[in-house]
Amino acid sequence: MKEIAIRYTPVVLLLALWELASRSGLVSQDVLPSVTSVSVRLWQLCAGGEMLSNISASMLRLVSGLGLGIIVGSILGFALASSAIVQKMAQPSLTFLYPLPKSALIPVIIIWLGFGHSAQIAVIFLGCLLPIVLGAYNGARSAESTLVWSARSLGANSIEAEWHVIIPAALPDLLAGVRVALALSFVLLISSEMLGAQRGMGFLIAFLGDGGDYAGMFASAFVITAIGFAADRAYLAIYHYLLRYREA
Amino acid sequence: MASGHRLMNILIGAILPLAIIALWEFATRERLVSSFLLPSFSRVVLRLWQDIVSGELFMLAGQTLLRLAISYSIAVIAGVVLGILMARVRFVRWMLDPIVSIGFPAPKIAFLPIFILWFGVFDTPKIAMAIVACIFPLIAGTWSGTQGVDKYLVWSAENLGATRREILVHVIFPAALPQVLTAMQVALPIAFIVVIVAEMLTGGNGLGGSMIEGARLADSARVFEDLIVIGLIGFAFLHGLQIFRRKILAWHPEVLQEKN
Amino acid sequence: MTNTKIKFANVEFTYAPANGRAVKALDNVNLDVAKDEFVSIVGPSGCGKSTLLYLLGGFLPLVQGEISVDGRKIAKPGPDRGIVFQHFALFPWKTVRQNVLYGLERKSMDTAQRAELAQKYIDLVKLTGFEDSWPAQLSGGMKQRVAIARTLVTDPDVLLMDEPFGALDAQNRGILQEELLAIWGSTRKTVLFVTHDVHEAVLLSDRVVVMSARPGRIKKTLPIDLPRPRGPDVNRSPRFVDYCQEIWDLVREEALAASGVKT
Repeated sequence: MKEIAIRYTPVVLLLALWELASRSGLVSQDVLPSVTSVSVRLWQLCAGGEMLSNISASMLRLVSGLGLGIIVGSILGFALASSAIVQKMAQPSLTFLYPLPKSALIPVIIIWLGFGHSAQIAVIFLGCLLPIVLGAYNGARSAESTLVWSARSLGANSIEAEWHVIIPAALPDLLAGVRVALALSFVLLISSEMLGAQRGMGFLIAFLGDGGDYAGMFASAFVITAIGFAADRAYLAIYHYLLRYREA
Repeated sequence: MASGHRLMNILIGAILPLAIIALWEFATRERLVSSFLLPSFSRVVLRLWQDIVSGELFMLAGQTLLRLAISYSIAVIAGVVLGILMARVRFVRWMLDPIVSIGFPAPKIAFLPIFILWFGVFDTPKIAMAIVACIFPLIAGTWSGTQGVDKYLVWSAENLGATRREILVHVIFPAALPQVLTAMQVALPIAFIVVIVAEMLTGGNGLGGSMIEGARLADSARVFEDLIVIGLIGFAFLHGLQIFRRKILAWHPEVLQEKN
Repeated sequence: MTNTKIKFANVEFTYAPANGRAVKALDNVNLDVAKDEFVSIVGPSGCGKSTLLYLLGGFLPLVQGEISVDGRKIAKPGPDRGIVFQHFALFPWKTVRQNVLYGLERKSMDTAQRAELAQKYIDLVKLTGFEDSWPAQLSGGMKQRVAIARTLVTDPDVLLMDEPFGALDAQNRGILQEELLAIWGSTRKTVLFVTHDVHEAVLLSDRVVVMSARPGRIKKTLPIDLPRPRGPDVNRSPRFVDYCQEIWDLVREEALAASGVKT
């Protein structure tokens, strides 16, 4: 317990510094609302229900887009890894798409789907697709042939070999890809919501900012950042659990 | 026949993109898809050509690239320095560790409107946001690489008479380099994404600004044109970094294996 | 005794990690090593034999006891006590030649002299032709030769070897043992050689020191009275076999005691 306190003390110091700078007028209250006023606004937004409704709108989109991306991406990734010829065909395209900033897809989606709910989900889905496809693809390719051969010599047919050997062997790379996709999905969610949505955390931050409610803007920004952080931590727990055989 | 083999590989690899382009052109020509949603490939290429000739494209790309270059360079220098300090100075590690571990997975883009509030709508908030977003992997990667140097290498250098400064430069820096380069490769796409989003949000110029304007004005050819340009730039940068990595890490087993 | 090169007097050492229990590795070790003597240290795992070497090398801080070379207390690491590690510790970003040159850079001689000296030792360890290779391109045996060349080229007073052939396969081990004997025969140095391989210890040394289980003490010291130079068939001589048996029994006793089995 004491170690945790020592470890996070700099954060507390930073908050204290912030409060001091804001209260003392060193930095204008407009530009940097005090920690206390942000906290008050946070409480108000939660009590008033705006926080919850926007969080749920955002999370719904995130989970849908990410979930779809995981399912389609894994299948696609495994399929692309299935044979040497397919690999050779797919490799250059994957290499080219990898560095494409996925946020550049937002205007394309806007043209196709406008500004609604489905547009946000589509952005997240398409953006997450690539890291997951790459994870599944690299993971499937890395499955050692000796493992597959052992399974076959123990009587497994090719489908069983796929399920019992290749997919578990691909898991570390796939799960690493999902972690990247998770972080990316938050970025895409917030970006696309800021650009054109009627609900959601990205929208809320921009809306409050436009309306001059800076304390509220800070509060919402912190909330979604905290959610993103928590999601990553939660995912790490799942990741370590699924891969616990490695640590042992 | 190494060259015949390579040619074969290139041809096979080109099948997919060529098929997609062919499908694209076919779908729009046969009006299977409205030309608004998907302008024909030839129209996009034509537009691209026009904008290159008029210089418009260079101006847009130049703006985006300038912001990217500035923010990335600052982030790399600051990130590497902080990472080294974190590994060598306990106080710095204590101060930065919670900030890095909390900040790393957090979607910092949520602070973009706040940055705009602080810095206005021109270059500064875009550059600042990109720095904040991509500096975390640089700090973490440098820290990890510097810390994880094999103690036997340090001992060998000491044994052969090296001073503390010499060890830092001759041993610790080269040993950490692979991880620092990896962090640099991770940070570049992040900076790029953020600069583009920032440009979109502030409706400013640059490729991102042009794309969002195209979307708002229903000028789909422009949107696709910009998308292709952005894709090419991203690819060129990352490929360039990869080549740079192979040169600097010529001694590394991973590079030597690639050669075989 | 003026013939004493290295002296360990009442040396004790405790590892105290930041999180975890303190472990006493060495307890009251007293050992004299004569000039140009080849001494091996053997003992069960964890008996502190490597620790003894690291203390002499100056890599670990000596708090209790005294270690002196030529009558002077040792302080920091330095090329007078050259060390070769088990896992080679070559600088992977330097070529073979650059690795060997590293220790010479600090010595006052001109570039041509350095190059000549480095080449001489690269030839000595039979790596002629590999001067511009990267360590990652070499086999384990070759890497260890580079490590040996790198250490020997600085002409250390004392040579410390920490299980140098432990990471090699049996064939390479045998070959390098032979070569070490040949090199040592011609460039006589005081050597302190740590190994868990009793056979190797008897083959190479003038004296074998057997350490007890943790915390390490010196259990027994055996002089190895076999004629030099020792050819590859020395290990068939009855006296060789007897030495091995005697030392192995001592080590085994300690190893079993450490795991709680009464002999």
